[in-house]
Amino acid sequence: MRLIAIGIIALLLGSCSSGKKPDEQAFLESLDSTRTAGPGVDEEVINSILEQIPSPIEISMLLKESGSKYNEAILNSSNNLPKYNSNYKKALNLGVYGTDLGYTNIFGRNQDGIKYISAIKSLADELNIGQFFDIATIGRLATNSKNLDSLLLITTMNFNQINHYLQSQSRDNLSVLLLTGGWLEAMQITCQTAVNNPENAELKETIGEQKIILEQIMLLFTFYQGDENMVGLSTDLDSLKKAYDKININYTYKESTMEIVNGVAVIKDNSTTTIDITKENVDEIKDIINQIRTKIIS
Amino acid sequence: MSEEILKALTQLFAIISKQDGGVSDNERGFALNFFQQELEKSAIDEYLKLYDTISGYSEQVGKHIDDRSNQPTSVKDSIRTLAICKKINKTLTQKQKVVVLIKVLELVSSDKQFTNQRMEIVNAVSTVFNIIKEEYRLIESFVVSERVDSLDFNDILIADEGTEKSAPLQKHLHAHVDGHLVFMHVRSVEMYFVKYLGKDANNLNGFIMKPGRVYLFSQGSIVKTPDGGALYYSDLIADFNDEIQTIKLSFKATVEEFAFRNGTIGLRNVKINEGPGKLIGIMGASGAGKTTLLNILAGLEKPGKGSIKINGFDIHKDKNKVEGVIGYVAQDDLLIEELTVYQNLYYNAKLCFAKVPESEIQERVMKVLRDLGLDHRKDLKVGSILDKQISGGQRKRLNIALELIREPAILFLDEPTSGLSSRDSENVIDLLKELSLKGKLIFVVIHQPSSDIYKMFDKMIIMDTGGYPTFYGNPVQAITYFKKATNQVDSNRGQCEVCGNVNPEQIFNIIEARVVDEYGQPTNKRKVTPMQWHEMFRNQFKPSLVEDTREEPPKTLHLPSRLKQTIIFTTRNFLSKISNRQYLLINLLEAPLLAVLLAFIIKYKSAPDGKEYIFRYNENLPAFMLMAIIVALFMGLTVSAEEIIRDRKILKRESFLNLSWNSYLLSKLAILFLLSAIQTLTFIVIGNWILEIHGMTWTFWFVLFTTSCFANVLGLNISAAFNSAVTVYILIPLLLIPQMILSGVIFDFDKLNELFSTKGKVPLVADLMTSRWAYEAMAVRQFKTNEYQKAYYEYEREESRADFKSAYLAVELKKRNQFLIDNLENKTDTIQKLIISNKRILYYELKNETFKEGITQLDLKDMFVGSGYSREIGNLLETYFDTYKKHYQQVYNTNADLIEKKMAFYEQQGFDIQKEKNEFFNESLSDLVRNINTKERIMEYKGQLVQNINPVFQSLNPKNVFDYRTAFFFPEKNLLGQTLSTYSFNLLVIWCMTLLLYLTLYFELLRRLINIVEKVNLSVKKSG
Repeated sequence: MRLIAIGIIALLLGSCSSGKKPDEQAFLESLDSTRTAGPGVDEEVINSILEQIPSPIEISMLLKESGSKYNEAILNSSNNLPKYNSNYKKALNLGVYGTDLGYTNIFGRNQDGIKYISAIKSLADELNIGQFFDIATIGRLATNSKNLDSLLLITTMNFNQINHYLQSQSRDNLSVLLLTGGWLEAMQITCQTAVNNPENAELKETIGEQKIILEQIMLLFTFYQGDENMVGLSTDLDSLKKAYDKININYTYKESTMEIVNGVAVIKDNSTTTIDITKENVDEIKDIINQIRTKIIS
Repeated sequence: MSEEILKALTQLFAIISKQDGGVSDNERGFALNFFQQELEKSAIDEYLKLYDTISGYSEQVGKHIDDRSNQPTSVKDSIRTLAICKKINKTLTQKQKVVVLIKVLELVSSDKQFTNQRMEIVNAVSTVFNIIKEEYRLIESFVVSERVDSLDFNDILIADEGTEKSAPLQKHLHAHVDGHLVFMHVRSVEMYFVKYLGKDANNLNGFIMKPGRVYLFSQGSIVKTPDGGALYYSDLIADFNDEIQTIKLSFKATVEEFAFRNGTIGLRNVKINEGPGKLIGIMGASGAGKTTLLNILAGLEKPGKGSIKINGFDIHKDKNKVEGVIGYVAQDDLLIEELTVYQNLYYNAKLCFAKVPESEIQERVMKVLRDLGLDHRKDLKVGSILDKQISGGQRKRLNIALELIREPAILFLDEPTSGLSSRDSENVIDLLKELSLKGKLIFVVIHQPSSDIYKMFDKMIIMDTGGYPTFYGNPVQAITYFKKATNQVDSNRGQCEVCGNVNPEQIFNIIEARVVDEYGQPTNKRKVTPMQWHEMFRNQFKPSLVEDTREEPPKTLHLPSRLKQTIIFTTRNFLSKISNRQYLLINLLEAPLLAVLLAFIIKYKSAPDGKEYIFRYNENLPAFMLMAIIVALFMGLTVSAEEIIRDRKILKRESFLNLSWNSYLLSKLAILFLLSAIQTLTFIVIGNWILEIHGMTWTFWFVLFTTSCFANVLGLNISAAFNSAVTVYILIPLLLIPQMILSGVIFDFDKLNELFSTKGKVPLVADLMTSRWAYEAMAVRQFKTNEYQKAYYEYEREESRADFKSAYLAVELKKRNQFLIDNLENKTDTIQKLIISNKRILYYELKNETFKEGITQLDLKDMFVGSGYSREIGNLLETYFDTYKKHYQQVYNTNADLIEKKMAFYEQQGFDIQKEKNEFFNESLSDLVRNINTKERIMEYKGQLVQNINPVFQSLNPKNVFDYRTAFFFPEKNLLGQTLSTYSFNLLVIWCMTLLLYLTLYFELLRRLINIVEKVNLSVKKSG
């Protein structure tokens, strides 16, 4: 009897939490000094830039076409989900997982895909955008492997809707993060693939092309100077930009000509773009991207 | 009598008669007579020879009588006398010695030669026999005297025609006797003797009494005069007993007709009048209504037509006047099996004597135990029938002891000898007889009594099938009565001539004798029907009149205060529980075992990588919480369901004490609540420990404890209402399964039959379920106040509300406004209806809206209830909804931002947010209380918009102060206009339900309801 009593007391004491958190007051006091105004960016401006950023699925298509092999190790494991607690991380990684999902989709890796769907659903719920994932439908589709294609498709398409929704809800910062996350993951996959396939010029070129996208993303980040997290990410992107500065994109303009093809007049663009990108450039970009991404996903 | 003793007696007789001049013929005749009584014919001569040799009768023949005066007693004779007496002393009981002394005195008085020498020897005999001087004097006078006026003793009773006593101390009874009947009471051995002085042929137990001779007046004896008058043992005893004479007690029962609940008649025309100091037997064939009669007499059941009065007080109407006067010993054991013999008696005594000091109570208990020969068994556990620790006779005696200790004036016993050995039976009846001699009135239902037991009764009530009384009077008389009634031979002899035995079986053989058909086979038809017997009885017997006193009956009962009763009950209950090891062990181990079983089985590697257990991803948490509640309910029910049923018999006995029902129930609750507290605590401590649920031990415990307490009271309710434990256990699933169905966890409240469900609110029928309140309390509390969530809850709540307004409500309201604008001119009925409903929704939502930028000047009532809505207003609202949306987007972002900042703030302070979330926050529970998987986040139901998503973040909007209803998992509740946290409110609800159930228990509403239902059932059957 006595032993039981001692045991109970010990358990009770053990179950009490240690370490006292600072109270609400302390937090509010800390707030006054750091408080800044919200984004206050015109929706139109952001929208126009956002539209130019390729969606994750587009980038993934490139990879597939490049003929590389599926490599699970280069993706962000869905097991990292518990690590994402702030909206900033959630939004970025929602983008990351979106790209990963597209990647698994293109290579037909359904089992991995389902894990990502579940992670995406979870993050979306926490960001109050869970309505775009009807878990009943997803569950029903998931029971049959034949349905997986459509399942993945639905999920991927939902990303576009989410982007649009977030913008309409004045939560464009999340939208920016979502797309940035997706883009960074796409870059990561492309770079890793490119390093493994050094002969593939097309991949290198794609990486080089992203210089323009990066500039636009960085432009977006300038609107969020008040957000510590975004400023931090923007600084990281700066270092990436420095690496990209070494790459030249030469755009040679030539007068457009009109030709008759099969009796129809067609305007032919004679301008050409050449990208000067070396293996070293790719390596450098790969390393920087890897750094940034590691920060994001951990 | 053994040969040895007989020889000793013979020698004694001879020595005495030899003194002072030798044997007279009278003396020899007396001795011969004595031998004839005691011996077979063949042996008589041998003894007579011995007598003659010692007394010297043979030598004396022919000698002169004159010689035999004044010769001193020879030394040889004296020594011989002493030796004989010592021998007798060693082998005979005191009673037998008294008889011997009387015989010796009779011998002396047979020829009236009271010489000194003879009397010296007799005196010496009495001294050696240890008979007190006064008593010897009494006996001597009684035997020797031939005149009643010389018998001036307290212990002498004279029955004669006279009306006056002939001496001041003696007692007197008026009777139609020629001459005098003299009765003597020898107190030291409680024996009675009778002697007749007169000339009539009086009859003792069917044998002629010789005048002048002393007879033993044993139990059940009757003296009859030639003209038919009778003197009964019991009446005479009562007259002798001074104690009884001072007791004022009258018991009058009149039952004209008693019908059972099913309508059959159980008793007819019973009239019983009795005074103190009687032992009355009730006999009858099975089904004759013996027990029914006893129960009615004891006041356990109401006599249909008629009344039971004690000293003129109706026991049903003047309950407080007769409180504690009646004692009842049922046929079954009414013992608390887990307690010792001593404890059973001790706590009973504690409940009866509030004013008696502790030491005296203990003394009384010991005294009763000694009186009943149970003192050396006092520390043995009573044990159950199967696990017997004390014998059946001892159990029975203890049962009686429980009643005896408080010394009720009237005692009822239902078959106290059933299942006992004949020795034990006799002991029990002896005990009762003794009590009756102390002035108690005792009624005993008895079955197949032995002759000795049968004769011990003062009166016998004999019942016949159908509840007809057929005899009420002296037991031995009963046999002659029935014999006579059927014209049997020797019908005036009740007892066996030689041995004095009676055969009570004869009575029933006569009563139930069957008609024989022409082949000599008995048929089903009775020779005399119960009704005929009853007719005969009514013609012959008139109930004796008993003096009606209007005094309050004597009582020794002093009930303790209610609080003290509760304490005594609780202590008794507690002791009986802890002495039952099996019960205790199972009840204390059940909870931890279930907790280990449940928690261990559902603990799995829940982390997304499947490598470890993380509380946050344990999808079984919601189910575990439900199971915890079900376990609490189940344990609470099972532990209490048998409580009252088990005690029912004890309650029946204690009902005569008029103890507080409330105290009894409170004592039950005290023990049960304590047990529930321990059970639920061990359960949740272990469950939480295994599943790593941190910081919720006391929170969860109190919910489970509350639930278990509710179940305890519910269990007591059914325990009090139903008759068997089996019924109760069958009922448990009936009570538990609805609790599971309507807990809100297994089946979604929104997906129930529309008969029950209310969209956006918990169904009313579920509000009756404890499980739902308990679960909501636990879930909401865990979600809201866990170490991780509590820092962000208020922000997330604001965030969620703003999100709902900007993302759903704004769109919805805008749509409805657009509809109004579009259909402003449309007058068709269907459209008008829609317009009205849309207006109502807009009005309701805008009325409660705090953000009214741009529409503050509008009169909402006029617009939506009246006819003030116009196109301009519509357009104004259109723009308002845009700003409304913007505003709430702003609110959302601010709060989202604050959450981010707060997290950052904590991280700065060195807290690991992720670790904290993993330890305290559970995703599955969060999904559940946020209702994340609902398809329709907003819906229209009965003219209102209902928010289905995020109930745990919503705010109250009560219709009136009494509107307590909300969606499931609402964080707050409205209690008469006050906002209360769901945890407090829900627990309050359960405690209120518990209190309500306590009231139904206290008033036994369920039992009454069942009785009504049963009655209705029966009457339906009858009319059908």
